[in-house]
Amino acid sequence: MRLAGEPVIVVELTHLSLACCALEVEAALREGLMPEEPDGPPGAARDVDGHVLLVAGTVTEALVPAVRAAWERLPEPRFVMSFGACANSGGPYWDASTVRSGVDRDLPVGAYVPGCPPRPDSLAAAIRSLLGSTAQRMPA
Amino acid sequence: MMTPEPAHGAIGLDPQACTSCMLCVRECPTWCIELGSHTEEVSDPGARRPRTVNVLDSFAIDYGLCMYCGICIEVCPFDALAWSPDAADPTADPGGLVLGIDQLRGWFATPSDS
Repeated sequence: MRLAGEPVIVVELTHLSLACCALEVEAALREGLMPEEPDGPPGAARDVDGHVLLVAGTVTEALVPAVRAAWERLPEPRFVMSFGACANSGGPYWDASTVRSGVDRDLPVGAYVPGCPPRPDSLAAAIRSLLGSTAQRMPA
Repeated sequence: MMTPEPAHGAIGLDPQACTSCMLCVRECPTWCIELGSHTEEVSDPGARRPRTVNVLDSFAIDYGLCMYCGICIEVCPFDALAWSPDAADPTADPGGLVLGIDQLRGWFATPSDS
């Protein structure tokens, strides 16, 4: 998708929908809180600025291999966004033996988004914090 | 477009109003509040023995854990905690979501109506 704003960011989101935060991500995408730029004219297409693995929800121990596999399949340049308290730290389940207390135990997280759930507009802010400087260098 | 109001913002602290009673710390479902304090003796003229008061040394909320449930705000007997319309920003630093007195005091200065 192309995220409108300055600079325009072309990003491929891989959304790991693991719990309720996933609904908040969908809501942010659909409610116009992620302002989308129309595709440029043909021939003006540019490569994506980056691939973002969006981890939204509780990472259970059983899912850790699948989360790792999703990350390993992503091409460079790639980034991990930890969306919400569960992905950040385990959230309300941080002391449960079946829940990973933070996806940063397994993956190099580039942006921690606070909230339970986070505010919808923080999704765009986090993408900007991950890719803003890269997109600045790319011709629009 | 902005987040529709009312939205869960951040939680601000008034360090002057806090008595270090620890109610918020104990009631927090995720244990995301850390509070440090010590006691000092105050000798009032004419009093038969000195009083003991709590002095707040540190107060931090881990916004990586916080569920924004507001229970800490509800239980605070002295209204030292309040919702703020501002929000903690996404960060790249793993410890960057643990915010201390300086940040929380700033958020208390702009409390929201809700």
